[in-house]
Amino acid sequence: MTLLSWMNPAEAVVSSSSRSVSTGIGDTADPITTEIIRQGLNAAAEHMKRTVIRTAFSPIIYEALDFAVALYDADMSMLAQAPTLPSFMGTLGFCVEAAVTAVGGSQALGPGDVVLYNDPFGTGTHPQDAAMVVPIFACDTLVGYAVIKAHWLDIGGKDPYCTDTVDVFQEGTIFPGVKLYEGDQVVDSIYRMVLANSRIPDAVIGDINAMVAGARSGGAALTRIVERYGLEEFRHCVARIYDHGEAMVRHWFEQLPDGEYSAHSVIDGDGVVGTPIPFEVTVRVHGSSVTVDYTKAPDQTVGPINSPLPSTVAVSRLAVAYLVGNEAPNEGHFRALEVLTRPGSIFHPVRPAPSFMYGVPSDHAIELIINALAAALPELVPAASGGDICALVWWGTREGTGEPWADGAPHPVGLGASPQGDGASTMMFHSESATRFTPAEIWEARNPWIIEQCALAQDSGGVGMFRGGLGLNLSFRVIEDCYITVAIARTKLRPWGLEGGGEGRPNDLVIEYPDGRTESHSLSTRVTLPKGTLVHLRTGSGGGHGDPAEREISSVRSDLTEEYISLEHAYTHYPHAL
Amino acid sequence: MTVVIGVDVGGTFTDLVMRDQADGQVIVGKVPTTPQDPEVGVLNAVDAVLTPEHLSRSSHFLHGTTVGLNALIERRGATVGLITTAGFRDVLEIGRGDRPDPYDLRPRPKDPLVPRRRRVEVTERTRADGQVVTPLDLSDVASIVESFATESVDAIAVVLINSYTNPHHELLLEAELRRCGYEGDISLSHRVSGEYREYERTTTTVIDAFVRHRMGPYLRRLRDGLAERGFVGELLITRSGGGALTVEEALQRPFETILSGPVAGAAATARLAQAMSLPLAIPADVGGTSFDTAAIVDGRLPLNFEGDVEGLPLQCPWVDVRSIGAGGGSLAHVDEGGLLRVGPRSAGAIPGPACYQRGGVQATVTDAALALGMLASGALSGGVGLDLAAAHRVLDDLVESSGLPDRVSVAQGIMRIAASHMAEAVRGITVEKGVDLRAGALVAFGGAGPLFASLLALEMDVDTVVIPSNAGNFSAVGLMQSDVSRSAARTLLRPLSPHIMQEVVDVATDLGLSFGPATDADSYELLLDLRYRGQEHSLTIALPWALGEQTPPIELIESKFEAEYHASYGLNLPESVELVNVRVQRHTRLNVSREAVSAPRWNGATGLVERPVWSFTQAEWLLTPVIERTDLPKEGMVGPVLIVEQTATTVVDFGFGVRPGEQESLVVTRDRGART
Repeated sequence: MTLLSWMNPAEAVVSSSSRSVSTGIGDTADPITTEIIRQGLNAAAEHMKRTVIRTAFSPIIYEALDFAVALYDADMSMLAQAPTLPSFMGTLGFCVEAAVTAVGGSQALGPGDVVLYNDPFGTGTHPQDAAMVVPIFACDTLVGYAVIKAHWLDIGGKDPYCTDTVDVFQEGTIFPGVKLYEGDQVVDSIYRMVLANSRIPDAVIGDINAMVAGARSGGAALTRIVERYGLEEFRHCVARIYDHGEAMVRHWFEQLPDGEYSAHSVIDGDGVVGTPIPFEVTVRVHGSSVTVDYTKAPDQTVGPINSPLPSTVAVSRLAVAYLVGNEAPNEGHFRALEVLTRPGSIFHPVRPAPSFMYGVPSDHAIELIINALAAALPELVPAASGGDICALVWWGTREGTGEPWADGAPHPVGLGASPQGDGASTMMFHSESATRFTPAEIWEARNPWIIEQCALAQDSGGVGMFRGGLGLNLSFRVIEDCYITVAIARTKLRPWGLEGGGEGRPNDLVIEYPDGRTESHSLSTRVTLPKGTLVHLRTGSGGGHGDPAEREISSVRSDLTEEYISLEHAYTHYPHAL
Repeated sequence: MTVVIGVDVGGTFTDLVMRDQADGQVIVGKVPTTPQDPEVGVLNAVDAVLTPEHLSRSSHFLHGTTVGLNALIERRGATVGLITTAGFRDVLEIGRGDRPDPYDLRPRPKDPLVPRRRRVEVTERTRADGQVVTPLDLSDVASIVESFATESVDAIAVVLINSYTNPHHELLLEAELRRCGYEGDISLSHRVSGEYREYERTTTTVIDAFVRHRMGPYLRRLRDGLAERGFVGELLITRSGGGALTVEEALQRPFETILSGPVAGAAATARLAQAMSLPLAIPADVGGTSFDTAAIVDGRLPLNFEGDVEGLPLQCPWVDVRSIGAGGGSLAHVDEGGLLRVGPRSAGAIPGPACYQRGGVQATVTDAALALGMLASGALSGGVGLDLAAAHRVLDDLVESSGLPDRVSVAQGIMRIAASHMAEAVRGITVEKGVDLRAGALVAFGGAGPLFASLLALEMDVDTVVIPSNAGNFSAVGLMQSDVSRSAARTLLRPLSPHIMQEVVDVATDLGLSFGPATDADSYELLLDLRYRGQEHSLTIALPWALGEQTPPIELIESKFEAEYHASYGLNLPESVELVNVRVQRHTRLNVSREAVSAPRWNGATGLVERPVWSFTQAEWLLTPVIERTDLPKEGMVGPVLIVEQTATTVVDFGFGVRPGEQESLVVTRDRGART
C-alpha cells in the first residue's frame, strides 16, 4: 500500500508500515559486498550528521541535535540513517515522498536541486521542522535522496513557539515542497520568502547552509558507492541489506510473547481547552510481527496536541526498538511493524488541525507502549519517567544592541526505576535521548540570563525497592525584559511506579515576578518576563520499582549520606532502614 | 650522552627502542605489559635489552604512559573534594543529559568521580562578562577544610562559574584554603582549562585532581628505578596533544597525558610525512584490538581540543587520532540476519586468535590472514607458533551460517570487511577535513598494518602505501623523536576586528609566559579558535608567532579561516568572524637525531622461497615469493610478494609494486594498468 493514503482522510482504519517488501533479488547478492556497502551507507549518513553539527548556527541543532539525517534509494526506501533525534528518525521517509510528489515526481528533479518541505502533515511535526530533500545522481541515473530535517528557531508562526494554536496556519509559513536550489543555484524568490518569514533570519540562513552542506556530503558518498559497484550490483546488495534488516528485527520480535497488550493514560490538556484527555494504546504481537494500534484514540483536539501520522509511526518504531533491540536501521527494519490509526484522531490528525505540540501525545505514547508491554516483559520495563522533554523557548530584543535573540532547549528529567536498579537522574526523555543539555556558561554568554541554580531535586525520586531518578531544579533570572513560551506536558499526571513502587513528581514551572507574584505554567505561549523575574523549572522524576520496604538498607543509607533523600523522607518511606 | 630510549606501553606489550646516535646501533625489545604496576614492565624491558652502560650514556628517556587513563578506567585515584559556585554543586553529576547509548531505556550512569557529599558550595558569582555580581564569601572555607579532612580528601578541585573570564574568586579561594591549613593538591579550573562550558571544565579539573594521585607516585618510582640503573638523562612523558612533557610538568598537569596512547604513531607518521614531503599522510596503525588513524596534512599533527575519556569530557588538546575496534584479534561472526560481520569485539591477548592455540575458538582477522597464506609462519607477535589447522577449523564453522561457499570465501570476506571498516574510518576523517583521500599516502604500521597494505589501498582507492622501517615498533620509534611541548588556552569571546588584536597578543603572551622563560630552542605557535558569528563550533587556525610579538595581520587570519572553512564545509558564509579561544603552544626541540631508525636484520625468512598466497586483485591463489625486508632489491619488485621482518609482514598483492623508499621505508604502489 502507499504511504500517501494518509493525505486523504477516510473513515476507514489506515495502516502504515514499511514501503518495501522483500523482492528476492537480494538473494543473489554477494554477502561480503553487501556488508561492505551497508557499512559505507551507514558511514555516509553519519558523515551527513557530523557536517550538520559542525556547521549549524542554532544550539537547538548542534547541541540539542534536534534534527535527523538519512539516505534513501530511488524508490524512497531508507538506505541508512545516522542516530540523531530519535523521534525524528522514523519520519524522514514521509518527508521524501511528500516533497518529491509535490514538485512533480522524480522526473522533475535534476542534479544540484534542493527541495524544501515543512508541511506538518508530511513531516509529522510542526512547520519549524524543515526538511531538505536532495536528489542524488550516479551513472547518469537518479539513485536516491539525501534528506535532513532540522528544527529552525522560527519560521513565522504566530509566536516563535506556540502551545495555543487552533489551526496549522497559525503555526508557521508552509513550504509545501518547493525548490530552494535548482541545479546548484539558489532560487532567490524562495530564499527571500524563507528569510522574510523568520523573526531571526540570520540563524535560519546559517542552518539552511548547514543542512545543504550535510545533504550534499551524503549525496557525494552515495554517488561514490554506486559508481564503485555499478547500479546493478548496488541494487542487489541494497535488496539484501533490507532483507537482512527485516530478519534482524523479526529475530528480536520473535522473542516477544504473542498476545494483545493495552495501556491507558491521561494527557493534561490540549493547551486551549483545559480538560484532561484520556487515551489508550494497544500492542499486538503475533509471531515475528508487531502491530501498534491507535484506533481507539480520541478525536483530534482544538489545541495543538495532535501527532501527525509520520510522528505516530516514528515513535511506535522507537518504543519497540527501545525494548527489543536496535542497530543502525534501514527500510527492512520497518517491515515487521504495523501501525493502525484513525484519521481525525490525535494520532492521525487531518488538515487543518494544529500540531505544534505534537510531542505531547507522541512522547506520551512512547512510555505507554513500553508500559503496555510490562506484562509481557516485566524484567525489561521501567517505571515512568518525567515523561516529557520540558521545552522552554525564550526570545526578546537585547538592551544594548537592539538585536533580536531567541533560544530554546529541552531539559532533562528523572528516569523510572527498573528491576535492574535505580532510575537515572536528569536524563533527556527517550524521544530526545541523544540530546545534550546546554551548559550555563554557554547560555550566559549568549542570553541575558543568570542561572541561579542547577541542581538535583532531593526527595523527588519515586520510592521503591529501586528508587526513581531525580528531577532537575533549574532557576533562570532574566536580566533583561523578554518572553517565554512554556511547553511542558505531564504536569498533572504523576510518573507511575511499578510493582509497588511509588510515584515520582510531575513536571512544573513557576514564574516568580519581581513584585513577588508567582504563577505555575505548563502550556503557555508568550509570557512576558520583566527584567529581574526568576523562572523555576522543576522537571519530573522517575517512578519507583518494587516495595520500598524491600529497599536495601545500605542503599537508603547511601541516599541519605549523599543527600539524595532527606532524613524526614527516609523516616516516612524507609523506616526499616533507620 | 648519545643514546636515546623510547618506551611505549600498549595494552598487551611494552615496546622499547634504543638508538645510539654515535654509531647508529639500534636495539628493540618487547615484553608483556604489567597493568597493575606499569613501571615494572617498563623496567623489565630496560633490563631485558639494555646494559647499565647504555643507560649511563642516555640523554633522554621518552615514555608514553597509560597510568592516567587506567586510573580513570579503574576509578582508582585521589579522594577529591569539589568546591563550586552556590547552586552548581551537581554540575558534575547532571552532566549533559545524554546517554552513552541513545537506545538504552534503563541507562545506569557510573558514579560521579566526586560523590555528592564531597561537593560543596561557596557563595559567589561572576557574570559571563567577568563582572562580579556576588562577592566571594570566605566564611565557610574553614569548615569546608574541616569536613574534607574528615572525608580524607587528598585533592581539592575548585570550579566557579565563569571563572574562565575572571579567575579572581578561584585564586582567593586557593589562598584561603591554604590559610586554613589545607596542604594537599589544589586544582583550579581556570588553570587547568581556561575554557568555558562548566560541565566540561569541571570534569577536566576533577580528572586532573583525581589522576595526579596515581601519576605522581608512578613517575617517581619510574624515575627512581631508572636512576638506580644508572640513567642520568631527562625523563620525558608523552602528551595527548603531541610532543612530550618534562616529568616535573607531567606531575603538575597529569591530565595532559591521559589521551596520549595513540599519539606516538601519529607523531611518527607526521615526521615521516615531513621527511618524505607527503602532502597527505594517513597512518594505518593496526594492532591486536584497534585500528588507529588520522589525517596528517603537510606533516602537521591534527589537534582537537575537546576529548572524551571513559565517557567524561576533557578540555585538553589531543591529537585527533580516531580509533575503531578492528585489528588482528577482531572476531568474526554471522549475525541474526545472516550477514558475516567483523568486530568490534576482539579476542584480545587472551585467548587471542584461534591459531595462537591459547584457547581461542572464534575466527579472527589473524586466522583469516593465516588461512590465506598472508602470514609467513611465525612472523607475528614475536615468534608465536601459528596453527593453520586451528584457523581452518574456526573458519569452517562460519561457512554454513554465512551462506558462503567455502573456507577461503569466509577468510577473504573477513579481511575485506575488516579493511572496509578501516576505510570508512579513514574516509570519515578525510571528508571532514576536506582533503582528497585519493591524493594521499597510507602509512601502514603496527603488528598487522603492513598485512593490510594492498587491501587498504584497494578499499580506500589510494595508490601509495608507505611501510616505515621498524613497522611493528613504529610508535616506540616515534617517541624518540618528540619535541618537548606545552600548551595553554583561554576563552576570549570577541568579534574578530583590529581592535582586539592587542588583547589577543596580551593574552597569548601571558599564556606563553606561563611556561617559563623562552630559550633559543623554543618556537611558539599561536592558535585561534574562530567561527562565524552565531555558530558554536569553531575551527582552529594555526599562526606563526614569537612570544610577545604582534599577531600576523588580521586579513591573513581571516583569509586563513575562510580557506580552512571552505576546505572543511565546501562553502563560506557572509557572517562576520568571531574569536572564541586563544591557544599558545611552545615546542622545544631536543638534540636528538631525526634520521630514520634502521631495523635490524631478522633472518626469519630463511628457507622460505615461494608460497601460495590469496590474491584479492586476482581472486585466486598465486605462488608468491617471500623475501626478507633487507633483501629487497633497489630497483624494487612487482607483486605478488610477501616481505617479512621481525615485527611485521607486508603483503604486496598482484597489481602492486614495491621499492625501497626514503627514510628506509618500503613504498608500495598500485599499478592501475595491471591486469586486475
